[in-house]
Amino acid sequence: MSSRVCRTCGGSDIDVDQARGSAVCTGCGSVLEDNIIVSEVQFVEGSGGVSSAVGQFVSADGPVKAPLLGSGFHTGVGKESRAQTLQNGKRQIQQLGSQLQLNQHCLDTAFNFFKLVVSKHLTRGRRTEHVIAACLYLVCRTEGTPHMLLDLSDLLQVNVYILGKTFLLLARELCINAPAIDPCLYIPRFAHMLEFGDKNHEVSMTALRLVQRMKRDWMHTGRRPSGLCGAALLVAARMHKFRRSVKDVIGVVKVCQTTLRKRLTEFEDTPTSQLTIDEFMRVDLEQECDPPSFTAGQHKVKMQQLEQELARKLDEVEGEISCYKEEIETELEKSRPKLRGIYAAYAKEMDPEDEDVLSSPADPEDKEGDDAALQAAAQRLTQDFLRQVIQEEEGGGAPQEAETEGAGRPTQGAPLASILGNASLGLQESFHTFDPPEPDQNPEGDPSPSGELDLEGIDDQEIDKYILNEKEVEVKTELWTKQNADYLKEQKEKEERITKEKEQGTYKEKKKKYKKREQIEAATAGEAIEKMLERKKISSKINYDVLRDLNQPAGSPASEPPGGAAVVPRKRLSRRRRKAGNANAELSASATMMTKRFRRLISSTPRKKKAAPQVETAVAMETASEAVPEAPPAAVPDAGPGPVEAPTPLETEEEEEEEAEEDCVSALQLVGDYGCEEEEVF
Amino acid sequence: MDSNNDEALDIIVTNVVATFRTRCHLNLRKIALEGTNVIYKPEVGKVLMKLRKPKITASIWSSGKIICTGATSEEEAKLGARRLARCLQKLGFKVRFSAFRVVNVLAVCSMPFAVHLVDFTKNNRPIASYEPELHPAATYRIKNLKATVQVFSTGSLTVTGPNVQSVASAVEYIYPLLYECQKPRCK
Repeated sequence: MSSRVCRTCGGSDIDVDQARGSAVCTGCGSVLEDNIIVSEVQFVEGSGGVSSAVGQFVSADGPVKAPLLGSGFHTGVGKESRAQTLQNGKRQIQQLGSQLQLNQHCLDTAFNFFKLVVSKHLTRGRRTEHVIAACLYLVCRTEGTPHMLLDLSDLLQVNVYILGKTFLLLARELCINAPAIDPCLYIPRFAHMLEFGDKNHEVSMTALRLVQRMKRDWMHTGRRPSGLCGAALLVAARMHKFRRSVKDVIGVVKVCQTTLRKRLTEFEDTPTSQLTIDEFMRVDLEQECDPPSFTAGQHKVKMQQLEQELARKLDEVEGEISCYKEEIETELEKSRPKLRGIYAAYAKEMDPEDEDVLSSPADPEDKEGDDAALQAAAQRLTQDFLRQVIQEEEGGGAPQEAETEGAGRPTQGAPLASILGNASLGLQESFHTFDPPEPDQNPEGDPSPSGELDLEGIDDQEIDKYILNEKEVEVKTELWTKQNADYLKEQKEKEERITKEKEQGTYKEKKKKYKKREQIEAATAGEAIEKMLERKKISSKINYDVLRDLNQPAGSPASEPPGGAAVVPRKRLSRRRRKAGNANAELSASATMMTKRFRRLISSTPRKKKAAPQVETAVAMETASEAVPEAPPAAVPDAGPGPVEAPTPLETEEEEEEEAEEDCVSALQLVGDYGCEEEEVF
Repeated sequence: MDSNNDEALDIIVTNVVATFRTRCHLNLRKIALEGTNVIYKPEVGKVLMKLRKPKITASIWSSGKIICTGATSEEEAKLGARRLARCLQKLGFKVRFSAFRVVNVLAVCSMPFAVHLVDFTKNNRPIASYEPELHPAATYRIKNLKATVQVFSTGSLTVTGPNVQSVASAVEYIYPLLYECQKPRCK
């Protein structure tokens, strides 16, 4: 206290009052400090004799709460919600982290990542769970803990790829360069899970060595680390005489059996696998291998080349064989002149002239003796026909040829079918495609609606083939309707329901959630307001037609302020006026109506006014009687409705009384006007 | 097949996706019932139609928008789209052919060397990402070309881009980057 000196008098005797929080110089009396913030801890004794510290706990990373400024003073509305988000995030990180057995340092880092993510608004559109998992995985990667994304997805029951997507996004946005995964990281973890007991360390060391070797042989790039670890561990376990089946390993590393097998076979292909165990432990081969998939690809190319070569050779040989075949055939023909015609016909690719011979009852199946020759012939024919069919299909542009052929063939169809078996099927199909006459839906003269579709290079004939003819359409329609009967029925029911609802007027069209508002175009501000009012009625109690008239220079002396109180009686007025307009026509009808309504009114009024004090009822009656004599001057012959209706829509009778006289005046002035508040009549 | 680098890299375009509009509503049921090579999916509201020459598959929507996939060049895509439009025209729709646009091109290419994926990702940090747990290839996205390149360890590339030109330039762009992290093949 005495360490300070007064600024005004230089005295050092300064009195600091902790309770009031002020510092006063006792010499001159000037207040040196006000509202001092004390840094003392005070304790209060509670009712049970328990003492507690005064104040509030403010956490280091939490937001600064503002109780001093009063709860009404919202300084950090946004901050509150963010604080909640962070708190939730922290809780979830703790939960998930403890399941993964991460240490506190990792959890803190994860939370920091999460804070970054929140501040960058990257949480939007993503589930918090995913973001948190991604944060944790980021930590795992940067810290090099043996956790896989798969573990997280396992815990959360979320697809790995969704998590992966989130993780990649976060890593990119936060500019965190996670080091590439090293499969060696996972070895100790998996080894532990496989329970090698005392030899755990040795086995994992061997596995590590194996993994290193695999890396050198390019097995790890583009592969899941877990698969590689699995393969290495399996081999290592076997090397140390543990019995671990593929299944055991799969259960731990969570890859498919095939994947593991593939890794093993890939390893088998490397030169390292040829070493004995001792050699492997001692020797490091200098050689490196190509990536297995690359070798496989090369293998494939080689195989293809070989196949091509083989096919070429085969062709050559086949040519020779066919030469021999023909020779044999001619020999056969010579030796058996009786059957000559048939074989000749087969050999010559079926000339149409030979039809008579073909249709002759020569049954080739009977001749068991020359089965071989026959088969050879049939084979050749099959090939020829197939080739022809393919050519036709490919050519497409030669329908005439096909048609002439088609004309000749159907008669041959039956005997051919018996010989050629499946080939005939193809033939028939080809007939089928060529048979339909070209549909003349679109003749050349048809003006294609815009010249925009350039027909150059478009083969109409082929396109025609994509379109079914009438008969086929019928068949397909029938088939389709049968197949989709349920769907059609459903649709029909739906339609019926909609039409029914439309009739009843209850149908609601599905409206789009967001409807773009049209821009109001107006020359003046007044017009704009008017238009806006037109679109959006502020109150249903205001008669906008009358309101509009107010702006017009009607020269009405009794123009009232457009307040709510004034508007209410006006509404009634306009109604009355309308009644006056078409009074004569409706006179008789309304007269009867009025009587009815009057009766109803009488019955309803007491019910309505039960709550209201008795006095008011009397007032209402009064106004009603007042209106009766006043209405006739407004050229209303059936003044009845006015007073009769008067009390119905009104809630406040007093108002009515006040305005009753004014009503008449304005009614006179605004005779020309019309109001259309039909709903409000009732 | 089109653009060759100085090292004579073959870029093989495997898929071209294109869209166009017919500017008229299409009765999908009519197409489904009168055309061959069609699959009607009323629950999705589209018809799949396949052409043989060129080999394309098109999804036809009732709004008249059509997506053609499966072509192997931009010209082929256009020819296929026009054929399809003609086919629809023959079915009796007042088809016009407008707003044809190649949307996506997929191409493959193979480098004459293997690539060190880890090094590659390290060198091109924020843009390239390599997650063996998720995908065997490293992904490299070229923003100004709107092209994405997947680099496999064998040196094979898969490039996707908005058109053939950008795909070709993407390969040209990435070649020097890959060249840095190459690993010579042992013979």
